[in-house]
Amino acid sequence: MNIEITGLSKIYPNGHAAIKNIDLQIGSGMFGLLGPNGAGKSSFMRILVTVQKATSGTILMDGLDINEHRHEIRKLIGYLPQDFTFFSKLKTWEFLDYTAQLSTSLKKKKRLAKVDRLLDQVGLLDVRERMANKLSGGMKRRLGIAQALIGEPRLLVIDEPTTGLDPEERIRFRNILSDLSQRDVTIILSTHIVGDISSTCHNMAMLNKGEVAFKGSPEGMIDQVRGHVWQIILDDAEFDTLKAKYPVVSTIPVDGKWEVQLIANDQPHPTAKVANPNLEHAYVYFMENEFGVSLV
Amino acid sequence: MISIKNIVTISTYESKVLWRNWFFRIVALAGIFFIGIFNLVEMSSLDDPSWWAMLNGFVLPYASIIFISIPQAAAVIFLATGLIKKDKKLDTNEVFFVRAISNLDYVFGKALATFKLFILLNFVILLIPFIVGLTNPLATVNPMAFIIYPLIVSVPNIVFTMGISFLLVTIIRNQPISIVLLVGVTGVQLIYYFDKFSNILDFTGFRISMLASEMSGFIDIEFALWQRAFFFLTGIAFLFLTAFFLERLSGHKTTHRATAGVGVVLLLLSSFMMMKVWTMRQSPIDLRQAMITANGRWANEPNLSITSHAITLEWAGNEIISTSDLVLKNNTRELLDTIYFSLNPGLTVDTLLVNEAPVQFKQDVQIIYVNKDISIAPDQEIKVRIKYHGAILQAAAHLEVDGKRYEESNDFIMFALTKKYAFLEEDYVLLTNDVLWYPDTEVGYNRVAVAKERQAFTNFELLVKVPEGKTAISQGAVTVSGDVQKFKPEYPLPCISLVIGDYVKKEIIVDNVAYAVFHYPKNDYFLKQLDQLADTLSYLITDVVSEYEDAQKLSYPFKRMQFVEVPLHFAAYNKIYESHQAFLQPETVFWPEEGAEIRQFDFGRQLRDMNTQAKKTNQVLTDKQKQANIFNDLIRKVFTKQIGSKWVNDGQNMDNPDYSVFPNYYDFNSGIVSRDWALLNRCIATYLRNDKQVQNDYSRDINGISFTEECNNLMQTTPLSKILTEAEFSKISKSVTLKSQYLFSYLGQTLGESNFKSFLYEWVNTHQHQLNSYEDFRQAMVSRFKVDIDPIIRTVFSETSQPAFEILDVQKYEVMDGDRKRYQVIVKAKNSGDSDGVLEVKFNHKENNDEDYYAKINEEVAEEVQGRLSVIKQGETKLFGYVLDEKPNAISINTIISRNIPSVINMSLGTLSKREGGILFDGEQVVTNEMKSAQYEVIVDNEDKQFTHFSPIKPTMLKAYLDSRDTVVKKYHGSWNSSYSSWFATTGSDFYGSIIRSAHFTRSGGGEKIATWTPEFREEGFYDIYVYMQGKNQNEFIGNESASKQFDYHYIINNGDGTDNIKYNITNAEPGWNYLGSYYFNKTGGSVSLTDKCELWRVYADAVKWVKQ
Repeated sequence: MNIEITGLSKIYPNGHAAIKNIDLQIGSGMFGLLGPNGAGKSSFMRILVTVQKATSGTILMDGLDINEHRHEIRKLIGYLPQDFTFFSKLKTWEFLDYTAQLSTSLKKKKRLAKVDRLLDQVGLLDVRERMANKLSGGMKRRLGIAQALIGEPRLLVIDEPTTGLDPEERIRFRNILSDLSQRDVTIILSTHIVGDISSTCHNMAMLNKGEVAFKGSPEGMIDQVRGHVWQIILDDAEFDTLKAKYPVVSTIPVDGKWEVQLIANDQPHPTAKVANPNLEHAYVYFMENEFGVSLV
Repeated sequence: MISIKNIVTISTYESKVLWRNWFFRIVALAGIFFIGIFNLVEMSSLDDPSWWAMLNGFVLPYASIIFISIPQAAAVIFLATGLIKKDKKLDTNEVFFVRAISNLDYVFGKALATFKLFILLNFVILLIPFIVGLTNPLATVNPMAFIIYPLIVSVPNIVFTMGISFLLVTIIRNQPISIVLLVGVTGVQLIYYFDKFSNILDFTGFRISMLASEMSGFIDIEFALWQRAFFFLTGIAFLFLTAFFLERLSGHKTTHRATAGVGVVLLLLSSFMMMKVWTMRQSPIDLRQAMITANGRWANEPNLSITSHAITLEWAGNEIISTSDLVLKNNTRELLDTIYFSLNPGLTVDTLLVNEAPVQFKQDVQIIYVNKDISIAPDQEIKVRIKYHGAILQAAAHLEVDGKRYEESNDFIMFALTKKYAFLEEDYVLLTNDVLWYPDTEVGYNRVAVAKERQAFTNFELLVKVPEGKTAISQGAVTVSGDVQKFKPEYPLPCISLVIGDYVKKEIIVDNVAYAVFHYPKNDYFLKQLDQLADTLSYLITDVVSEYEDAQKLSYPFKRMQFVEVPLHFAAYNKIYESHQAFLQPETVFWPEEGAEIRQFDFGRQLRDMNTQAKKTNQVLTDKQKQANIFNDLIRKVFTKQIGSKWVNDGQNMDNPDYSVFPNYYDFNSGIVSRDWALLNRCIATYLRNDKQVQNDYSRDINGISFTEECNNLMQTTPLSKILTEAEFSKISKSVTLKSQYLFSYLGQTLGESNFKSFLYEWVNTHQHQLNSYEDFRQAMVSRFKVDIDPIIRTVFSETSQPAFEILDVQKYEVMDGDRKRYQVIVKAKNSGDSDGVLEVKFNHKENNDEDYYAKINEEVAEEVQGRLSVIKQGETKLFGYVLDEKPNAISINTIISRNIPSVINMSLGTLSKREGGILFDGEQVVTNEMKSAQYEVIVDNEDKQFTHFSPIKPTMLKAYLDSRDTVVKKYHGSWNSSYSSWFATTGSDFYGSIIRSAHFTRSGGGEKIATWTPEFREEGFYDIYVYMQGKNQNEFIGNESASKQFDYHYIINNGDGTDNIKYNITNAEPGWNYLGSYYFNKTGGSVSLTDKCELWRVYADAVKWVKQ
């Protein structure tokens, strides 16, 4: 699916501008939307899935304006919201079947087979009879993904899917998404966890304060920060001084001293060496720049 | 726009969610439990079931549905608001919002889920009466009822409550506020508005008349259906509007607009239905006003009287086709150029022939008149034939009944029934003259003149074409030829009635009178339950008839007495100028379908109670005796009223049905017609009617004074003529009864009571089957007693001044008269009022017994205690002596109309002192010079200004608010309303007082509230102090457990020597003055105070007496 977003803005009645004039093009495959909490990711996603209206701007999905063709667009969408808890009194399979009936026109037998298939795919078949609210956080997320997938959407919008999950669940979740991205599906994944994007997305955008701080590939983003990541061994006093001046990405204690990685435009310390950047460094770099901290 | 598949899907899973909701489960279980208990107790054969619950297959399913309707509405509000609300913290809804479903799918899916669950609950609950009914051999199960009631009561209730809950929570987006608002509205509706505004607000259907009769089917069902349809449609409209306002972007703009459009159109349509409902209720009321006005236009127009009236009637479903052949006579003294007839406005006159020639007629609402080419001389007779057809409009009946009474529903158990005054249905007919089903030359109620009284009874004849299988019932001997039944009454009558239905007749002839019971075939339970009476019935009837006629001193004037079962909804009113209700027709009594809720018809429970009663008194009764007792109890309490009911709140429920057969002895048999004294005939009937009165009236316990006294007070300030037009009906009725009691007591006393009574009975017995003019009656009185009653009647009806009696002294002795022990009571009374007055004195010889308060089955008919009437002229003091053979226990002095409160003084006589010798005084004498007591005494009563009371306690906010709503300033309060924060005045025979016997009372407390009597002395010295008491423990019921307990009052006596606190034991107090102690008082005063400290419920502060030693 090809999504064209032009001049998209969302201003809430209280005057808060959640999204400011966003232009984006999203094609098939996995698209990561990175940004801190409050960057406007959820507002953007909700507009995308027709739950909320934009104040201005247009979104065309395969050429269809989502404001004009909401009903048709909804047939193409799967959505996993950020804060997702299930009905307290539905079983896992019931919940999935509920959404299946609203999204497909399959006969009962086929539909139920599909429900079980999907449950199997997300590793929930064993707990199909369990009440959905009794599932663990990770299981709920997986059920969330299953309900988003049940209608075989062409656009899958997933908002902060890994928040609060343990590492094992997170990896499992990423794998599910990676599998999906092999099909002709557009997956938009919003997160504030850098690892989610680095491991799965080929395209991404970074939002900050409602504006696109970066768009392109994760590698492109890492390139931007190349030469600005430094690694130094510091004693306590030095560490305190530099910590106040530069954003520190990591700190490891080494023989009574500190091995520190930080972001700076120029060499922050005579012993500092340029380090190999990753997406996390790039994220911090862009964030700090935006927050107005001098990296000089 | 709408996808059925989506709606079904959503409803399937949402109903699962609701079903698993604990709140719903608790509500459902509570409903099932409550209805289960209700059905088991009232209807199952586990207990003696209530007869009313079984009398008709519609009662229990309807009751079960009605019971749950309000809790159901509340439960729907709770669940529905929760179901549609959008929780801001969770995005669960959004998973569904992004599906390709419409807002309508979403809302209707959720609505259907709620609806399914509740309607299922309804059917589960209905299974209970269904099973219970099937297992009870006496009960009727009507499968239709189990379908109809959920459909017309619950469906609109659930849909509307759901619609309004969805809409409100969607608009204001706050579930708690929505719930509070909706439950609040439901509550207010429940308390205030059920019966108001033509039931427009009654969304639960709680007070809509939907109980069917097994005889005549559903009544007024059209109104009920419109009302229920209105709420159903409004609910649906609200669902559409909810979909419009739902916080979800719609799939298409056009769909969104269309949703709003349909919602608004449905709302408009439901508004139209609301108007329709309103009009259905209001148009009869408008018609009544038009009829009253039309009557007024004709009230003063002279008219012909009917000599004979032959009616031929054909019943054609909801219409009748009739011909009336009338012989009319000009009984006026003038030449008449206009004749007119009152006829139900639903009937259309086809032709009108005068002396066989067609004439042109005109119509003025219900008045059909001819004023062209008419000239009828005095005493001239003409023949008139009127052909008419059409339906009967109920609104034409009982025009004199004011709007409030007319619109009040007829309560039957917990149901509100539509009042029906006539039936003209597809399979049932009941017509009384109240609905003007045949032409009459009289004008009915109006506000211009007193309705013209009938001058003579009419010779009726009725020919009815009756469909096969149906029975017609009317007055007179019946002859059948083919499908025509002809009724020919043997005597002229004031009116006739007609009933046609599937009746079965049971008849027995006793002493030349044919007693017949007409009942519906299925309603023959009495035959089974009184099956052993067949061979003794004639004896039982002879007994009750002779017992009744002995009491009435009149004999039954007709050849038959028919007891006709009529549908539950048939209703009647008490009237001002008539002393009977429409349940009584000549030769006929209408009894309600299967006895309705009249306890005496509940033979099962009567039998149970009788067994208990027999066990208590160690009686052994055969089944036959038991059945005879049940039969007697029914006749005596319901039809002959020879046993009065135990309790009444006088002034309330003035239109309770009255099935007393007395009108057949007087109203339909005789009468005295007077233009000037329209009330006279009713007064005579009231005087002659010897029904037993209700034994205990508790209106004083509620209002502080009795209803009689309230009316006496009204009559002091307002002439009767004004009361008749302005007061509420209960007061009119009571005032008229009191006036008639006064008039005849006065006449009786003046003319010699037994002479006057026997004259009256003789007059009725010699003037049967006719109406008599007042002038004839007056002349007969003059020739017999040499007294013109006219000025007496004038005075009684017009005066407002009233006597006031002071009972100055009551002496009572046990005397030996030779070797006979006799009892002498001497009463000294003074009339200090503004007019002459009558006292009626009675003695009660029975010891008071708690058992007397309980109704018994087949109790002895109380022997009528003859009172002695005495006139005391204004300003006169009289001594009355009574010599009795039996020890009197109490004396009752009835002041009839007076300023006295209580108007009937009941005094316990207590211990009688023994007197040796002396002359027995039986009679009365005027006291000319009263001896003053030599002893100096001062009495301070609670009515005096020397009596004060104090309370530091503030009422609660709720109580203060409720009191502030009471706009009527009351001087006296009922003793049932004992305030914990104030002293209130109340009245009663046992209190001290000259004309008003009152005391102050309060709820017992810790001693903070104080009442004080402060005397003013002429002389200082030692005084004996007495306090006035009602009797032991102030007559308060303390129960058997506390029988040996002692109770005290706490007095504070400020005397010349200081202050004394006295604990005074009241457990053995005598009625009257009780000695408290002796103290020295200075001339400057002192006081006696009583605190509210007591272990009894209330403390009374009445009067204190200081007697100088």
